[in-house]
Amino acid sequence: MFRKILIANRGEIAVRVERACREMGIRTVAVYSEVDRHALHVRCADEAHLIGPPPATESYLVIDKIIGVAKQSGAEAIHPGYGFLAENPLFAERCEKEGIKLIGPSAHSMRTMGSKTLARKTVQAAGVPVVPGTVEPIATEEEVLRISKKIGFPVMLKATAGGGGKGLRLVKTEGDLHSSLRMAKSEAKSAFSDDSVYIEKYIENPRHVEIQILGDRHGNYVHLCERECSIQRRHQKVIEESPSVIITPGIRAAMGKVAIEAARAARYEGAGTCEFLVDQDRNFFFLEMNTRLQVEHPVTEMVTGVDIVKEQIRIAAGERLSLRQEEVKQTGHAIECRVYAEDPDNNFMPCPGLITSLRTPGGPGVRDDSGVFEGFEIPIYYDPIISKLVVWGKDREEAVARMKRALNEYVVTGVKTTIPFHIRVMNNRHFLEGNFDTNFIDRVFFPEERERELPHFEVAVIAAAVQLYLGERKRAIAARPVGTGEPVSMWKYSGRPGMPKIL
Amino acid sequence: MNYIATIGEREIKVTVEEVGVARYVVTGDGKGHLVDAHQVQDSVWSILYGTNSFEVDVQRRGDEYEVLIDGDCYKFTLMNEQLKALSRAGGKAAAGKALVTSPMPGKVVKLLVAEGEEVKSDQGVIVVEAMKMENELKSAVAGKVKEIFVKEGEVVESGAKLLLVE
Repeated sequence: MFRKILIANRGEIAVRVERACREMGIRTVAVYSEVDRHALHVRCADEAHLIGPPPATESYLVIDKIIGVAKQSGAEAIHPGYGFLAENPLFAERCEKEGIKLIGPSAHSMRTMGSKTLARKTVQAAGVPVVPGTVEPIATEEEVLRISKKIGFPVMLKATAGGGGKGLRLVKTEGDLHSSLRMAKSEAKSAFSDDSVYIEKYIENPRHVEIQILGDRHGNYVHLCERECSIQRRHQKVIEESPSVIITPGIRAAMGKVAIEAARAARYEGAGTCEFLVDQDRNFFFLEMNTRLQVEHPVTEMVTGVDIVKEQIRIAAGERLSLRQEEVKQTGHAIECRVYAEDPDNNFMPCPGLITSLRTPGGPGVRDDSGVFEGFEIPIYYDPIISKLVVWGKDREEAVARMKRALNEYVVTGVKTTIPFHIRVMNNRHFLEGNFDTNFIDRVFFPEERERELPHFEVAVIAAAVQLYLGERKRAIAARPVGTGEPVSMWKYSGRPGMPKIL
Repeated sequence: MNYIATIGEREIKVTVEEVGVARYVVTGDGKGHLVDAHQVQDSVWSILYGTNSFEVDVQRRGDEYEVLIDGDCYKFTLMNEQLKALSRAGGKAAAGKALVTSPMPGKVVKLLVAEGEEVKSDQGVIVVEAMKMENELKSAVAGKVKEIFVKEGEVVESGAKLLLVE
């Protein structure tokens, strides 16, 4: 087993990894940028090294600096967390070359799964269902039309080199094909200098369900069941849960089996996740594999009792998986809400800044994976995630009620957070019924929210009026003439036309 | 003390009368209520309204309030009755002139206009980035860009003056 691990990350995920290391008796090495000297991941580590200026491109993303600290500190392994260098094959290669163990898959596995078309080819060959369509780029419009007719409209045209929504076109009918193809190609050309496109069937109102897998270098694999991740805002997951209400034991076993096949095909080692789209008839299609620890891994930990980070570390150290498939049990129900420093009542505007006060929730079944504390100033340079609130309940109903209760206990001041947004989702009828897909938040939830009547306007105005009254009184006392002897009633001042300006 | 709350189109007169330590009678819409109010954590108040207990986060920007209760956000304006009367008498002196300020700490990524340029109301004038998100800020009024206070690449605090449109 390793004696010392470097954590090449910051925020809540760095703290999460440090917690696992501490419990395993492994020393931790933190790296930090100039704005992160006070950060929680530095405070929780055994050692800490400054690696440069605040922008990630000059600190957390600089491979040479991370490797330099690993060598200097004598760390035998590096945990990359998620984001930053976590899925960068160049980093994985460099670690391999330097004889430092990267806690994650090989550069080969990352490359295979990182390319959309190569991943599609690889898993399809292993018998994994993918969204119907082509694997190779398509040359002519006749060819595009022929294939589109075969798989059936609507179809998606996607740039082979694609990413970030560029070169992506939904084609609803045959009539739209000509102009859509032209636009997709020209967008792809300008964005990626490569105008090749391929076709996929468009899955309407899909659910996003993913399977967590673990694999060791001895060829053993297990899956840790599914996570339901359909609650997304602008294609970003915001709430995740396990189990998914639409997944039956039969579908779960089938999805688990193909996820393992996909991992095996990429000779995958460590923790990874296969993402699937599930259509309205509960057919599932492989979307992509994430070759890292996922943000939402705690929901799986809560229902299976498996500490995924510790498993990652053991696997990286060459140990065999500590459990067999038949030992994996999914118990109860877990939900995670991602708490971001964003203002849900002003178009989710980012809100970095000083956390002036903080009360974290507690009580039965509550877990708060946080990267902040009272008095911490959230920097402007990184992701807005400050914490992940996770709850466990004996069933979905209890888990939702518990999440609502925990969110109500969670008080953050100084910066706005998405906690109020999560409370509203927990109260939404469709969410309670489990009736949603990946378009739910933008197409159903927000329009419903705009129509909803708020129950406590009276209390809100009363609280504001009392606060305003006390502020005026304080200013009136402060503005009182000095040395007039007798205390003067504030009413006298506040009643005058020349009363202190309060605006 | 008398205040006017404006909720959408509706105006409500609110009276606050202190009747003991942290105890007030608040009258709104003609009905009086006994309220026990304690500021417990920064902007968060514990309000006993009758015997019902509420946790209320009161955020204020000038006369504009955003109050959070049970995850719901209540937006309204609240003004001292006299000041409201004064501001009405004084008319809108500030009309036609608007300072664009940064609503959050961040970095100026791009200036979309130059000094002297004519802008329309609601036109994007500057892009400020925070936490990997770019936010386009708009001019509240139509007019000419009188002055630009920042350069591209500059890191600004929340509330920093960015540019003036007149």
